[in-house]
Amino acid sequence: MTIFHEIYGAYYRITARLLRRGRITRQDIADVTAQEGFRDSMLFLPQKLIPQADGSDWGLLRETADGAFAPVTKHLPERPLTLLQRRWLRAKLADPKIRLFLTDAEYDAIEAALAETPPLFRPEQFRYPDQFSDGDCMTDPKYRAVFRIALHALRKGTAVLLEYRTQRGETQRQCCLPVAMEYSQKNDKFRLYCRRIRRGRLTGSTVFNLGRIRSIRMLRDAPENSQTRERFFAGLRCAEPVTVRVTDERSGLARFLMEFAAYEKHTERDTETGSCTVQIWYDRSDETELLIQLLSFGPVLEILSPPDFRQKAAERVAAQYALLFPEQPLPPDAE
Amino acid sequence: MAGFSELVKTFEKTKGYIRDFFICGFRIRGDFQQKSSRTYDDERRRAESWLGGVLQYDDSVRGRQVFLSVDSSRIPENPLYQMYAAKSFTANDIRLHFLLLDLLADGEARSLNAVMELLVTEYGAEFDPQTVRGKLREYAAEGLLTAEKRGNAMFYRLTETEKVLRLRENPALAEAVRFFAADDAFGVIGAEMLHEAGLQNDIFLRKHNYIVHTLEDSILPVLLAAMEQKCTVTLRAYSARLDADDREGRAFEAVPMQIIGSLQTGRRYLAAYIPAEGRFHSFRLDYLGALRQGAVFPDYDRIYSEYLALSRRVYGVSFGAPQGGADAEPLRLTVRADTETEPFILQRLVREKRCGILTQERAGQYTLTFDVIDPNEIMHWAKTLIGRIVSVEGGTAALRERFADDIRRMQAMYGGAAHDDLP
Repeated sequence: MTIFHEIYGAYYRITARLLRRGRITRQDIADVTAQEGFRDSMLFLPQKLIPQADGSDWGLLRETADGAFAPVTKHLPERPLTLLQRRWLRAKLADPKIRLFLTDAEYDAIEAALAETPPLFRPEQFRYPDQFSDGDCMTDPKYRAVFRIALHALRKGTAVLLEYRTQRGETQRQCCLPVAMEYSQKNDKFRLYCRRIRRGRLTGSTVFNLGRIRSIRMLRDAPENSQTRERFFAGLRCAEPVTVRVTDERSGLARFLMEFAAYEKHTERDTETGSCTVQIWYDRSDETELLIQLLSFGPVLEILSPPDFRQKAAERVAAQYALLFPEQPLPPDAE
Repeated sequence: MAGFSELVKTFEKTKGYIRDFFICGFRIRGDFQQKSSRTYDDERRRAESWLGGVLQYDDSVRGRQVFLSVDSSRIPENPLYQMYAAKSFTANDIRLHFLLLDLLADGEARSLNAVMELLVTEYGAEFDPQTVRGKLREYAAEGLLTAEKRGNAMFYRLTETEKVLRLRENPALAEAVRFFAADDAFGVIGAEMLHEAGLQNDIFLRKHNYIVHTLEDSILPVLLAAMEQKCTVTLRAYSARLDADDREGRAFEAVPMQIIGSLQTGRRYLAAYIPAEGRFHSFRLDYLGALRQGAVFPDYDRIYSEYLALSRRVYGVSFGAPQGGADAEPLRLTVRADTETEPFILQRLVREKRCGILTQERAGQYTLTFDVIDPNEIMHWAKTLIGRIVSVEGGTAALRERFADDIRRMQAMYGGAAHDDLP
C-alpha cells in the first residue's frame, strides 16, 4: 500500500478517460492529454496510446476502418477504491468536521461500509500545540445547520440573509452572496467570504466567522454575479507588498522561509552578506497578523517598506523599549 | 531529449529539488553544486512540466532563479500533488492494469490460469505468468482485487466499492472529500479520488496552508504504521541548515511516538524515543530519510506513557533543557492588556497560551506562567506581543538577556518612533 503508485498517476487517468469514450480520434487523445496531463505529456503519451507499426505502443487501442481508434477493452474502466483510499476515508470519520457534511444517517452508512477497514491514522498520532483553543464547535447542531445552508447557497449560487454577532456583541443582519468557504487549521474556524447586497445590487466584499452567524436563510432572488473569484480576491490584496530583510543569524533565514511559505513572495539573496530581501503580498485584513508575525523574528528581520507598515512596527518596538527600560534613553539610531 | 522522462521512479530525490524551489526561491543553477548540471536541468524540466503555471522565473544579477510563488490560501488544489501523479511504470504495468480491470469487470473470481487464458483469448495479449501473478498479488495488496484461496489455488476478483463510498453517487461525501483534499496530511489521497471521479474543489480554501507538507506524505505511512504496531524505525536525520551540504546525515534507531506540527512556523516533527540514548527527541520531518520499520519495541507502552507525561511540560517540540539551563525556572511573562479598549489582547492570551497559566496581576495587566522543559521555545511567540510585554521573569538568565538585547537592537534598527498609541 503506497501513495506514490502509478495507479494514481496522470498517465493512467488520461488513459482511463480515453478508454471510457469508446471511439476516439487523434485530436481527442491530444485534447485529453493537454487537459489532464503535465506540460510535456504531449511529447510522450500520445505515441504510447496510438498503435505503432513497431509495436512500441501499450496495446490498449486498435485502429478502426475510418482511421479513428477504439479500445481493446470491453467494459468501461472502473477502478475500485484502493485500500489506501478506504483507510484514508476511515481515518476522516474520526474528524469532527466530517459531521458538517454528512447527516447522522449518511455518516452511519459510510461507517458501516468501512467497518472492517483500519484507519490510515488516528487523531492522537498528530499533535498541533499552537492550534488556538477557541475553535468553532463543529458538533453543535446549530453550527452544523448554518454550515449546511451556507454550503448549499455556495453550491447553488444563491443569496442569503444572515444574522450575526459583531465583535462588539451587537446583532446585525446582512444580505449577501457567498463566494467561498475558508478554513484555518490554526484558528480551527471556518469563514464565509461574501459579496454584500445593497438595494438589490452587489457592492463590496465581506467575510463572516461562521461561529458568529446566528441564523442564515437562502433568498429566492440574487443579483447576477459576473465577477470571477480571482477578481474578488484580488480586490482584498494589499496595494503594495511588504519588503523585509532577513539575516541568517540563529538560522533566521531558514525559519523565515518556512514560516512564510504560505505567502506569495519574491526572494533575493545578497551573496556577500548572506541576507535575503523578500517581498510579501498579503490580504489587507491580515495586516496585523502579518506585522506581529514579522516582529516575532526579533532583530534578525527588518521591515523595510512600505513606510507606514514600518512605522507601525517601530511604534510597537518603541513602546516595548520604554516598558523594559523606562529609565534609559532611547539608543542612537543605528541607521 | 533522449533519456528524459517527465515521470520518476522514486520520490525522495526529486522532493529535495521541489522543496528548494518552493522554500528557498533564490537559488540559481550554480547553487545546486552537489548534483551534476544535467541532473539539475532534468529536475528543473520535470518541475516545470508538473507545476506549469505556478513556477516563476527571475533573472537576477546572479543568474536565473526558478521559484514557486503561490498564495496558498487562494488555490483550489495544492499544485505539489502533481508530483504524486508522476510515478514511472513499464508498458506491461499499464497494459495489464487495464486488461485485468476489464477481464475481471464481471465480478467473477478467477485463478491465475483462467486470467492467463482470458488475456490470450480475449485480448491476444501474451504475458509471462510470473508477471501476471506478481501484478495480481500487488493489486490484492493495494486493495483493487480481493484474493481468496480455493484448494491450492488463489482466486482473484475485482473488489466492489460500496455505492455509499462512490463520490459520483454520494454528493455529501464528495463535498467532504473536496474539503479534506487540502489537509496537511494525506490530502493528496482525497485529491486523487476527486480526479478519478472527474470532480474538483471549487468552493473551499485553506488559510495558513503549508502546501509543502505534502512532500512528507510519502514517509508518514511508515511512521504511523510503526506507532500502530509499536515498532522501532531506522532513519537518517539530515541537517536543516539552509546551506548545509549534509549528504550523509546521522543514523538513528528510534521509537516513533507522535507527529507534532506547528501551525505557526510550518515545521513538522517526529517525536520519538531513542533507546540507545535513553531520551526523547524531535526530528524535523522534512529532513528525514532512509526510513525502515524495525522490530516490535517491547517497552512501548511504558515509554509512551512517559512521553505523554513529559509532553505536558513541552511548549513546542523540545524535550531537552536548553544549554546551561538544566535548572530553568518557570517563565513568567507579564503583559499589558486593557480589557476595555483592547479586549482582543486578553482573548489572544487565553486562546494562545497553550500550557501557560494565566493570572491577572492588576487591572490591565496579566501574567502567563509556563513551567516547561525548554522556556526558549516560548520566546518566538512572546515576541508577537512586542509593545505590551511588561516583564520577562524566570526561565534562564541567558533567555532574559537575549530578550532584552533583542529589544535594544530592534529599537536601534527602527529608531525612536512615538509610542503613545498602539494601533
